Amino acid sequence: MSIAVRSVSKNFGRFAALHDVSLEVAEGELLALLGPSGSGKTTLLRVMAGLEFPDDARGRVFFHGRDVTDQPAYQRRAGFVFQHYALFPNMTVAQNVAFGLDARPRRHRPPKAEIRARVEHLLGVVQLEGLGARFPAQLSGGQRQRVALARALAIEPSVLLLDEPFGALDAKVRKELRQWIRRFHDRTRITSVFVTHDQEEAFEIADRVVILDKGGIQQIGTAREVRGGPSTPFVTEFLGLGENI
Amino acid sequence: MSAIAQFSPSRARVHATADPAWVRWGVTFLGVGFAAAFLALPLGVVFQEAFRHGAGGFLAPLRDTSTRSAIGLTLLVAAIVVPVNTIGGLAAAWATCRFRFPGRRLLLALIEMPLWVSPVVGGLLFMLLFGRQGWFGAWLIAHDVSIVFAAPGVVLATLFVTFPFVARCVIPQMQAQGFAEEEAAMTLGASAWRVFWKVTLPKVKWGMTYGIILCNARSMGEFGAVSVVSGYIRGQTITMPLHVEIRYNEYQTTAAFAVASLLCLLALATLLGKTWSERRLARAFRAGAEAIPAEARS
Repeated sequence: MSIAVRSVSKNFGRFAALHDVSLEVAEGELLALLGPSGSGKTTLLRVMAGLEFPDDARGRVFFHGRDVTDQPAYQRRAGFVFQHYALFPNMTVAQNVAFGLDARPRRHRPPKAEIRARVEHLLGVVQLEGLGARFPAQLSGGQRQRVALARALAIEPSVLLLDEPFGALDAKVRKELRQWIRRFHDRTRITSVFVTHDQEEAFEIADRVVILDKGGIQQIGTAREVRGGPSTPFVTEFLGLGENI
Repeated sequence: MSAIAQFSPSRARVHATADPAWVRWGVTFLGVGFAAAFLALPLGVVFQEAFRHGAGGFLAPLRDTSTRSAIGLTLLVAAIVVPVNTIGGLAAAWATCRFRFPGRRLLLALIEMPLWVSPVVGGLLFMLLFGRQGWFGAWLIAHDVSIVFAAPGVVLATLFVTFPFVARCVIPQMQAQGFAEEEAAMTLGASAWRVFWKVTLPKVKWGMTYGIILCNARSMGEFGAVSVVSGYIRGQTITMPLHVEIRYNEYQTTAAFAVASLLCLLALATLLGKTWSERRLARAFRAGAEAIPAEARS
């Protein structure tokens, strides 16, 4: 198991965002967390990243079999991509991508020339060669999201977590970028989890889809499994399967 | 339908919202006249009085030792108060924007308290705490520590009065920008310290600059709170505003206005710095708004 979540509950005030959720993500898998807003999908992703912590000690998070529950985000090496990019506006694209490498303690930090070479390489991977000197404000939405991806990949993350990565993009760019992500995943096989409220998106690129509602998992399966046999009335309704019967 | 929708072109709107000429001129005249009478005129009088006996008359009082010690104390107080309140203000802004905790609203109100309470009350508060009859009075006397009627009291009173400025200038900027960049930096392995210096500080730097300028101006110009705790010991607890008052009461008008003119120059410098940082702040807000895509803003 690459990522495992056990019995995680999370409340914000009186709102139960997650209620006793357990989930396992296989090595090299591309998994989608799908659900309406308020279903807890983003909270689950943030718990994996260490940006939120489970309410009680029963809730645990494991990366590659290692318990990381008590590690804060900056120790987990989980690449995270935000819906609204969250690029550093005062830094160039190259500085953004280099941020995670520059932040390493001195003895683990690669020499400057190597950081530069790696940034160049990553900008090539996300097809933004030659844009390293630009500032985020000078890029389009699709380009910004690819910078965010390159920045997350720079730390050689053990897992990649994406929060509505296509949510802020227009329809055409969204479609291109999600196919690109799928191809990228086929190449690298880095364990990835992404959050979406768009079922077409989830079923098109994910290996398996997790459907959440009201802080609980309703069903887990491949596109064929979920569509072929929705396990709860919610899933049937959410996927719009009822109309076909 | 579309004809109705297209009916209100800009011309119609100009007529609908424009005021008659006499209103526009009247209001402008009132505003400018008021500013001239109550702001520019006193400023002019200050400089006129300061130079009544020529440049020599202006410079002579600035050379005497009591004036120098007043300027020295004022600079010392500002040098302590501004950094302390910058750090305290940033911490307060961070705490109230970043976290939701019980008592958060109370803290927000408390931050502003020195703005709506009279400075004299602030001064009296320190008398109540550290004065001879105060809560800690006996202990302070036993340990031979003087706070009120000494420089530490002046510093404390000024700290109290000028605390809100940095926090009040930084909070709106922090709230508008959110903390996604900070979270991104954390997932990239940056320590809290690095996140603060590399991400948070650049984001709020113009709001902070604006707050620092206001804090500095007020700390040098504060009268009420300081006059309560000062005790008016010449050469020791007299700041520039108190010095102006003393000289004026001694009928040394030229000397009083010479020091007052220095305070006015500080005010002008503050105005320039404030205008400049406000412009940068407005630009930062616009850039921030552009960085967040339209869909997210609604």
